[in-house]
Amino acid sequence: MIEAFKKNRLFAIYTAAVILILFVAIFAPYLAPQDPFDGNMRNVLQPPSSEHLLGTDKLGRDTLSRIIAGTQVSLFMTICLVILLAIVGSIIGITSGYFGGKVEMILMRFADMMLAFPGVVLAIAIAGILGGSVVNTIIALLAVGWAKYARLVRSLVIKLRNNDFIIAAQVNGTKTINILWRHILPNILPMVVITGAMDIGTMMMEIAGLSFLGFGAQPPTPEWGLMLNEGRQYIQTAPWLMIYPGAAIFIVVATFNLWGDSLRDVLDPRQQ
Amino acid sequence: MFKWKKILASVLCAGALLVTGCGGGDGGGSSSSGGDPNVLKVGVTNFADTLEPTQNYFGWVVMRYGLGECLTKFDEKMNIQPWLAESWQVSDDHLTWTFKIRDNVKFSNGTPLTAEAVKNSIERAFAKNTRAATFFEYESITADGQNLIIQTKNPLPGMPGYLADPLFIIVDTTAEPARDFSKEGPICTGPYMVESFVKERAVMKRNENYWDGEVPYQTVEIPSIDDPNTRAMALQSGDVDIAVNIAAGDIDIFKGNDKFHIDEIASLRVVLARLNQKPDHILSDPKVRAALICGCDRETYNDVLLKKTFIPGKAPVPPSLDYGFDQLKDPNVYNPERAAKLLDEAGWKDSDGDGIREKDGRKLELDFVVYNSRAELPLYAEAVQSDLKKLGFDIKINTVDYNLIDGMGIKGEYDLLISNITTANTGDPEIFLTWYWKTNADGSNPQNGSGYSNPAYDAKLNELSMEFDKDKRRQLIIDLQQILLDDGASLFFGYPQTNIINAKYVDGVVMYPSDYYWITKLIRPAK
Repeated sequence: MIEAFKKNRLFAIYTAAVILILFVAIFAPYLAPQDPFDGNMRNVLQPPSSEHLLGTDKLGRDTLSRIIAGTQVSLFMTICLVILLAIVGSIIGITSGYFGGKVEMILMRFADMMLAFPGVVLAIAIAGILGGSVVNTIIALLAVGWAKYARLVRSLVIKLRNNDFIIAAQVNGTKTINILWRHILPNILPMVVITGAMDIGTMMMEIAGLSFLGFGAQPPTPEWGLMLNEGRQYIQTAPWLMIYPGAAIFIVVATFNLWGDSLRDVLDPRQQ
Repeated sequence: MFKWKKILASVLCAGALLVTGCGGGDGGGSSSSGGDPNVLKVGVTNFADTLEPTQNYFGWVVMRYGLGECLTKFDEKMNIQPWLAESWQVSDDHLTWTFKIRDNVKFSNGTPLTAEAVKNSIERAFAKNTRAATFFEYESITADGQNLIIQTKNPLPGMPGYLADPLFIIVDTTAEPARDFSKEGPICTGPYMVESFVKERAVMKRNENYWDGEVPYQTVEIPSIDDPNTRAMALQSGDVDIAVNIAAGDIDIFKGNDKFHIDEIASLRVVLARLNQKPDHILSDPKVRAALICGCDRETYNDVLLKKTFIPGKAPVPPSLDYGFDQLKDPNVYNPERAAKLLDEAGWKDSDGDGIREKDGRKLELDFVVYNSRAELPLYAEAVQSDLKKLGFDIKINTVDYNLIDGMGIKGEYDLLISNITTANTGDPEIFLTWYWKTNADGSNPQNGSGYSNPAYDAKLNELSMEFDKDKRRQLIIDLQQILLDDGASLFFGYPQTNIINAKYVDGVVMYPSDYYWITKLIRPAK
């Protein structure tokens, strides 16, 4: 790992930035200067000042504190989602890739079906039916996103399936579950991790998008997309309510995208 | 390549965000046209799918768009004024009403307006919408020349006011069935007539047969701009000449700008939360209701959060109507200490230290149903959530589509349900006080889905429905309100001021408390 950092300066910088964001997310309750939920209602829509560095919102809550608390919410949702996507996608992909036949056909036609829908629209529909909440947002995006991972994993598994070391394991009578766990999974994992890392930014945008539309996190959760929506009503009179959450989304999404790309450069031997 | 595309996209997004964010600073905006004297453009919010006046509440839109007229109308002080009827009288036994119909009125297709036509139109409303019967029931309607005679079974003091409701817009029934009102719009007597209508956009043109003077505009374009910010921006940029209901967040932009004229008045509306007090609900305990009401700092919500675009709430009927607002006593004024004490007394205690009170293993958790097509509703809900959390309530805000609200209210699928209701659409609050709080015995009064029931209240309502004397009616309405306040029947948040804002090259724009009359013949190019 140290080697990788030395070889790839950019990767080191991006990793540091990601760690910083994770630090903010984990220690958000200690970093936020004020209570992100409880404001002084007599002190609403104040412009940025020394007391409230990024101003206050419609209920007099400190915007900076809410953005910091929002790091935790947004990042937690995104990482949960990406991990779940990777797990669900891998299980389905491995199953259909390794066993083939009817199982594959059914699962992959189902995946094709999901891929045929415009993703965000379908997610809006699912989240709309389930009702807005953090968990339902994750479920909705999971239902839409798994197909991409399943397809990827399946193609990797098909490539691996006929390799000698797999056949050797089969001939030796290794249990199927052990073949999948010991031989297949470690070989596909790097690719899944790279895809997941590069998806963090996209998924964060989609979560924020659903929240902005009212299908995601519900008030008073300090979620960035929701904050943007709340600020929208005051776009002309209190623009800081949109600018700063927007900037937060921009910075974090850009950082994760850059990090994901450079992680690929590091992990993918063909690029070196 | 892929990488750079992603970065570029991110930068562009952020850039767009910043630009839109900063662009608001300059306030004014430019009006390009300065107003075409032949075309009026009005930015509204429209809920109607068709212009059939008897369908749902669509008659409101028919009237707001300057299309339909009733026998009577309300003035700026909610007094009843003649409109298509030039005068009326009631017999000594209070059972026979005679309305004298103006004899110079023609429908927009040229058909003269007779008492017979009015009779047919009113009967049509009764046939097509069951809501008509909730206003009044008649024994007979007869037409005699220009006199319309309505006989009722019971004395109905509110009759002239009932007939001002847009449900009773006078349409030319002889135009049917050749013309399908729900597709092509009705034939009425107003200054404008339909050229085209879809929910998002209506175009009206001048009614050449108008009876009451000259109609100023050739064409009126009415885009429905549901988002209040977009509506404000459309007015700033000159896309519309008039906009209704500019939200609290935007009104300051126009207040300091001499290109615009604001007409802001206290409306007849009240924003309230219905409290579900059916037996198995937490709010069936009057102490919990009282605690909930006095835990809400309504003055701050209205004065600060909503920037005084709302008047702080107390009673069911707003102070804009003279029904004793100042003399009513609210036992549950803001007092968090008292609220906490009431909850303690009712047995709700926080035993597990999570900040939420419990009783018998049940959390003090309430489902607050809101919709957000009106900007203030989610704001109230969140403010309540924040205030009551300090007292140990866990308020779950459930945002639903506006179309679901009515059904949920009737079925009682809520603990709190927010509503923005007009209190006096017939000129007095009798119907409002009946619909939402009269005992609902086996669906006899479906609008009251909250389970509220008080025999004393029902008795006074009965008295009110028979009373003709103005002063006695007023006193009864005051008594009724006091009962609701003492029972903690609902949480009255506030009373909206409504506004209509116009560019100054247009004149005669007035907002009426009844909210029925937006586009009138009085709106004309400024000299």
